[in-house]
Amino acid sequence: MSEFLSTISEYWTVFRPWLGAALSMLGGFLALVGAIGVLRFPDFYTRLHAASVTDTGAALVLIVGMCLLSPSGLVFVKILAIGIFLFLTAPSAAHAIANAAHTAKLEPVTGRFGSPGENVEEHGG
Amino acid sequence: MNVGTALISVGLLTMLFVIAVAIVRMRNLFAIVMLSGTYSLISAAWFVALDAVDVAFTEAAVGAGISTALMLGAMLLTSRTAKVERSLASLAPLLVCIATGAMLIYATIDLPALGSVTSPVNAYVGAEYLARTESDIGVPNVVTAVLASYRGFDTLGETAVIFAAGISVALLLGFGERSLTASMKDKSGRGRKL
Amino acid sequence: MNDRHIILRVISKFLIPIIVVYALYVQFHGDYGPGGGFQAGVIMAVAIILYSLIFGVPAALEAIPAGFARGLASIGLLLYAGVGIWAMMNGGDYLDYDFLVEEEEGGHAGQHLGIILIELGVLFTVAGAMVTIFYAFAGRVAEIRDEDW
Repeated sequence: MSEFLSTISEYWTVFRPWLGAALSMLGGFLALVGAIGVLRFPDFYTRLHAASVTDTGAALVLIVGMCLLSPSGLVFVKILAIGIFLFLTAPSAAHAIANAAHTAKLEPVTGRFGSPGENVEEHGG
Repeated sequence: MNVGTALISVGLLTMLFVIAVAIVRMRNLFAIVMLSGTYSLISAAWFVALDAVDVAFTEAAVGAGISTALMLGAMLLTSRTAKVERSLASLAPLLVCIATGAMLIYATIDLPALGSVTSPVNAYVGAEYLARTESDIGVPNVVTAVLASYRGFDTLGETAVIFAAGISVALLLGFGERSLTASMKDKSGRGRKL
Repeated sequence: MNDRHIILRVISKFLIPIIVVYALYVQFHGDYGPGGGFQAGVIMAVAIILYSLIFGVPAALEAIPAGFARGLASIGLLLYAGVGIWAMMNGGDYLDYDFLVEEEEGGHAGQHLGIILIELGVLFTVAGAMVTIFYAFAGRVAEIRDEDW
């Protein structure tokens, strides 16, 4: 049993940096996807969703990747604290923006994509 | 500075340039305030790339944090869009800016390389601060040691400037009690809630 | 009544004490990492500004009165200048921290004490000045309804 645990811990120390690097690259890819979405989406609310993919998704995946790459326990705890803070505030920031837009009577674009808009009412979104 | 750091610095500086051009060309003041906050945040990232973490921390906190909030508060007191400028009126300032910029770029040819050991910044007083902080002050962070102990007079002057700025804004714009008295007249007690 | 903003109210009620604790962490760890009085003062002011954005400027004025913010700024600058005077009274130059306390040769107690005290002064002044400026801006604006945005 202890031999099994020691082989597991050996594999973990070899595997951990690779997993951390892979997660960091995944986070970078998510940030790129979010940026492309902000540029290409047609409506304010869809663009906000793309921005929140960058803000919440990419940031948290990057934080988990960095936690795996951390050299000491203190750095791990600090990065984890930043991750918890981001997890709480990034979605509320996106919610605040969507709330403000909705209160200012910005209607989302509805209807089929590309159809001449009988439902379109965009105030400069 | 190796190639990777140089590439990152060039990329960040290009983004700063694009944001500056966007700020100048826009007329919607709300968007301009938000872009200036983004400008401060990318400057903070550039300072981290240059290994100046204290400066980056202060820039992120002050520029991207509180300066954006205060500029938004100031913008509420004025209007939402900037006035239109006649393009002919900005010809003379453009020529002055181009002349000054050209002179400054010509002067940078003589500057020492970034981070070189023999430059006057790093060789004389700077090297002595780094060598003597351990024995004189005993504080691990040399930036705090220089700021608080070796150059304490300058920090006293900075603190006095911040104090003077706060007091002068309060004298010019009022002490902030008007909103409280206005809401006390309204008996239901509703304030300026979001 | 304001159920539209319930998420922001709950999150900020949870986070504002954490921001204040973080400001104190940055203040007292300025000796060992990036930080110090300026950053800590700004972060403390940001916590107060967040409170006033979510719960209204009158509520914030009840929690941190404008006179208190002004007084705090003044006390910070007086603290900083007072450390210099204390060093002069003990026989050294102005703001010479080696003369603050009696210590043996080569000891750093005076320097540590001096740095902690002046960073505290900087924290008070920066936080007080930023909150005063915010109250000066926010206190003049007419009540803007949400639809006007």
